[in-house]
Amino acid sequence: MNITAKAQTGFTLLEVIVALTITGFVLGGLFSLVGGSKKLSWRSEESLVQATRLRAAINFALLENEFVEVEQILRDDSYQIRALDLLDDPERRTQASAYGFQFYEVVNRERDEVIPGSRWIRFDLPQ
Amino acid sequence: MSKTKEKGFTLVEIILSLGLTALLLGLLSSGVYIVAEDWNRNSDVLDESLDQALAVLQIDRALQGAFPHSYTNFDTLGREIYFHGEDDYLSFVSTVSPQRNPGLTVWEIYSVADEGVYLSLVPAFSDDPTERLSESEPTLILEHYSAEFSFLYLDLNGETKLWTDEWLGNEQLGLPLAIYVRFVPDRDYEDINEELELVAGIKANQHRSIRPTLNVGL
Repeated sequence: MNITAKAQTGFTLLEVIVALTITGFVLGGLFSLVGGSKKLSWRSEESLVQATRLRAAINFALLENEFVEVEQILRDDSYQIRALDLLDDPERRTQASAYGFQFYEVVNRERDEVIPGSRWIRFDLPQ
Repeated sequence: MSKTKEKGFTLVEIILSLGLTALLLGLLSSGVYIVAEDWNRNSDVLDESLDQALAVLQIDRALQGAFPHSYTNFDTLGREIYFHGEDDYLSFVSTVSPQRNPGLTVWEIYSVADEGVYLSLVPAFSDDPTERLSESEPTLILEHYSAEFSFLYLDLNGETKLWTDEWLGNEQLGLPLAIYVRFVPDRDYEDINEELELVAGIKANQHRSIRPTLNVGL
């Protein structure tokens, strides 16, 4: 009698609660992983759009320079173009050139981004 | 003695455990429901916007590779440069072709109100591609968008570069210095879709034999 009664004991309440809680945590973790991957693909879509914006800003920077003004057309003003120094003249030069090599930066203050670049610019007169 | 040993759960214990189970299952299923719902709703939107972003990058590449392709106009027997740009229509020849087709490709981009931006592609041969373009099947690349185009030229005194909203290759005898495209979302879709802008400088803007004369304004 004593033995059968012992063999028939099931789970205690505590065991059931612990098991259910563990199941809950595992399933919750799985779902948050799935949700996270979705969020990641949204972020990648956002950065593709951001890349398009940046491409437009850089292409515009390549068109303009200080010597020939380009009429502003981009509506998106989150990127500013900042012209930097010209490349130093070589020590010896065989012929005059109307082109110079200039560094520039594309700056986005909001996102704290600075993208350096370089471009050819044309002077009024050969130097 | 034996009766007390065989005693199972009390009523309170069963109610408590059932209640907890119901609570947990309820939480879990509502979580599943929310995730599944959200998943279905935005995976279509995501697919579409990824396609759109890639289409825009492709157009950007094609514009940078624009080429002053010329054909014989059989009415005048003269050679004309194929480039037709208006503020809402653009067709040009590019060295960039999708699917890596050999040769030059004519790209035609235009928007239809309430539908979106369409793209047609035909190979560029030595004839006027206008007729072949009208027979080709256009693809809707940006739904609920409209396209606006501007073309860059150097003004006559050579001091400023200005944008104009019309550029015809056979009148200007060359290609513009750059093309600007703005994709504007339709009014009802402004909160879902973002405005996209493209700037593409064109390196090959002069034909090898056709040269612009000063009085046409280049």
